[in-house]
Amino acid sequence: MIEKNIVGQSVPKVDAFGKVTGQTRYAADLDIAGALHLKVLRSKVAHGLVKKIDTSRALKIPGVTAVFTHADIPGSNSYGIIVKDQPVLTNKVRFKGDAIALVAAEEESIAVKALDAIAVEIEELPPLFDIQAAMAAGAPAIHDNGNVLTVTKIKRGNVEAALDQAAAVVSRRYTTQRVEHGYIETEAGIAYMENDMLIIKAGTQNPHYDRRDAARVLGLPINKVRVIQTATGGGFGGKLDISVQCFLGLAALKLGRPVKIVYDRQESFVATAKRHPFIVDYTSVAAADGRLLAVKARIFGDTGAYASYGPATLTRAAVHATGPYEVPNVDLEAFCVYTNNSFSGAMRGFGTPQIAFVFESQMDLLARELKMSPLEIRRRNVLRPGSITATGQELTSSVGIAKTLEAAWARALEVMPGLGGDCR
Amino acid sequence: MKKRGFGIGCMSYGIGNTGLPNPAGAFVDFLDDGTVIVLTGCADIGQGSSTILAQIAAETLGVAFEDVVVVAGDTGVTPDAGATSASRQTYISGNAVFEAARKARQEVIAGAAAVLGVPPEEINLKNGRVWHGEEPTSLSIKEVISKCRSEGILTLGHGWFNPATTRLDPATGQGIPYATYAFATQVAEVEVDTETGIVEVKRIVAAHDVGRAINPQNVEGQIESGCSMGIGYALLEEVVVKEGEIQNPAFSTYLMPTAMDVPEVYPIIVEELEPTGPYGAKGVGEPALVPTAAAITNAVADALGLRFYDLPLTPERVVAEIKKSREKKEDDGQ
Repeated sequence: MIEKNIVGQSVPKVDAFGKVTGQTRYAADLDIAGALHLKVLRSKVAHGLVKKIDTSRALKIPGVTAVFTHADIPGSNSYGIIVKDQPVLTNKVRFKGDAIALVAAEEESIAVKALDAIAVEIEELPPLFDIQAAMAAGAPAIHDNGNVLTVTKIKRGNVEAALDQAAAVVSRRYTTQRVEHGYIETEAGIAYMENDMLIIKAGTQNPHYDRRDAARVLGLPINKVRVIQTATGGGFGGKLDISVQCFLGLAALKLGRPVKIVYDRQESFVATAKRHPFIVDYTSVAAADGRLLAVKARIFGDTGAYASYGPATLTRAAVHATGPYEVPNVDLEAFCVYTNNSFSGAMRGFGTPQIAFVFESQMDLLARELKMSPLEIRRRNVLRPGSITATGQELTSSVGIAKTLEAAWARALEVMPGLGGDCR
Repeated sequence: MKKRGFGIGCMSYGIGNTGLPNPAGAFVDFLDDGTVIVLTGCADIGQGSSTILAQIAAETLGVAFEDVVVVAGDTGVTPDAGATSASRQTYISGNAVFEAARKARQEVIAGAAAVLGVPPEEINLKNGRVWHGEEPTSLSIKEVISKCRSEGILTLGHGWFNPATTRLDPATGQGIPYATYAFATQVAEVEVDTETGIVEVKRIVAAHDVGRAINPQNVEGQIESGCSMGIGYALLEEVVVKEGEIQNPAFSTYLMPTAMDVPEVYPIIVEELEPTGPYGAKGVGEPALVPTAAAITNAVADALGLRFYDLPLTPERVVAEIKKSREKKEDDGQ
């Protein structure tokens, strides 16, 4: 038997030295001779049809090389990891921040000036800023197939029958907020042609997906696009989507010159995904001994203007809605809904921090109803080997929730002097 | 008045994409000086995947950690490893690298077995040397690879891994969404100032079942960072939107925790080994954050005897709730 002597060792991270000494070069640090600077014209209107884009004044500014619009996309003008619903440059704006035009100029300051010189005529449509309005019958459709993008259903057992045996029933509505990832490095990248190969270098969590959608948008075979991930200063889910990649590819391909783009913090806030705000109606049903009998939940997530990772977020929230507990009867539905807010996508946890706030609040409320400690009600319900989950999966191995509960509680008793006794 | 409270947050987290195939590939090239190149599409975004994958390759090939170079996230040379998301890379890319390394290892073992004239199953690779059973031999891995090359045999490996899941039934959601789950319990202690509404997190104990901790310090780092992000989620952070327009798109107006807001975190690593994981590993990236806001809000409810149903628990919201509850008590004649 060989001793496992590298796995399990706290060796220093391979990237640590460069980062702590400031030697690591991120995308914005990459300079490339003769590179044009790119800037994006973004919508100030939440919902509307782009009727006319006049770039003539912008093109007359010395130093402006090109202005691109939706008419210049060589391939399919749509991308998205799950649903291809987001245009690179749009002719229908769906949120305040949607990209309408892309400027390439010799200097960054000239590109900024050119943005102001582009005249855009928009026919405004009624905007939808909350989930209820977007789900209402007759609401204007933000995308062709309506505003409810996905519904995830998880059904098992009989919740109504469980109510008959209930000693405690707790029903509450919860809401959670929209959150920004706040990674230190904003989105940035460079691109250039190497013979007929398009090279895109950018900070990303998902280089192979970036390649696929850049090729799709630019009408190139996948093997003619090379995406190279630069040292990435955090992501937390926010760098799973396309941000700068297609802009870089479009300009480099069309102009045959190297290009560079760097979002400032404001653009990073406005133009990239957020954590989904949730509205959750949740009912927990328990027997007198504290055992969970049933859970019913309706989960609504505002995915904003585009799908991004919305369907995955809502599905994961539904799958995790019963928490690390065995619940024999479930009736769970999760709705991913378009609105004209800035789009929501992946953020560390994919809907589970939202739903954990809900199911753990419910556990404490049930404990109080049943005059039981929060610790004890959890002990009685945690998943164990052999438990069946809400989706009907039998857990056979590596089910450590009970161990984490006991270990955390034991340590808490040591380091939190005020804690103790079964009343907690 | 300052009031103390304690709260528990528990969670499970499915590793990888939900009910969908999400494979990762990797290549391993074992070179004739005994060093190793790992090619992986897995994007290291600071969380440490390149370090973890190097440890898995080094362990499997019996070479020093320092002798492994990981080339990651370049579609021109690395195979697709899927996204760095869903806490999936240690488990999924870890397995792909393990498999690729295992194949390269087999070539070296076959070469060594021929030199030593012993069955391959009695041979191990460790610390850059060929071992026969429990004993090191005089043969180095470097020598074996050179010999393989001289005979036209390359010591390469390709591996890929896709977790065993099934699609969820669209009507009932029944199925196997994930091959394995991480688990965690966090306990938070808070102090709430009932006049200002400010919630101060005093301590967090965070116990995480990650399977095998390939790099325990890195796991602890993830846990501590998750807790700080969870404090922001529970108490501070909110993108304020008015008529579809973000009102606070700057760090001067969008408040995130600083070092002043993050207390001592006590990480505890629980290793319930996953039989299908590389060396038993699962993952920790997202689980670190998932139960934190839950534990904090339960602690605030414990401190005040008041429960909050809307995040975040800003001072304004806390003060308003305290006031509402006092007024209600007065109305009830208490």
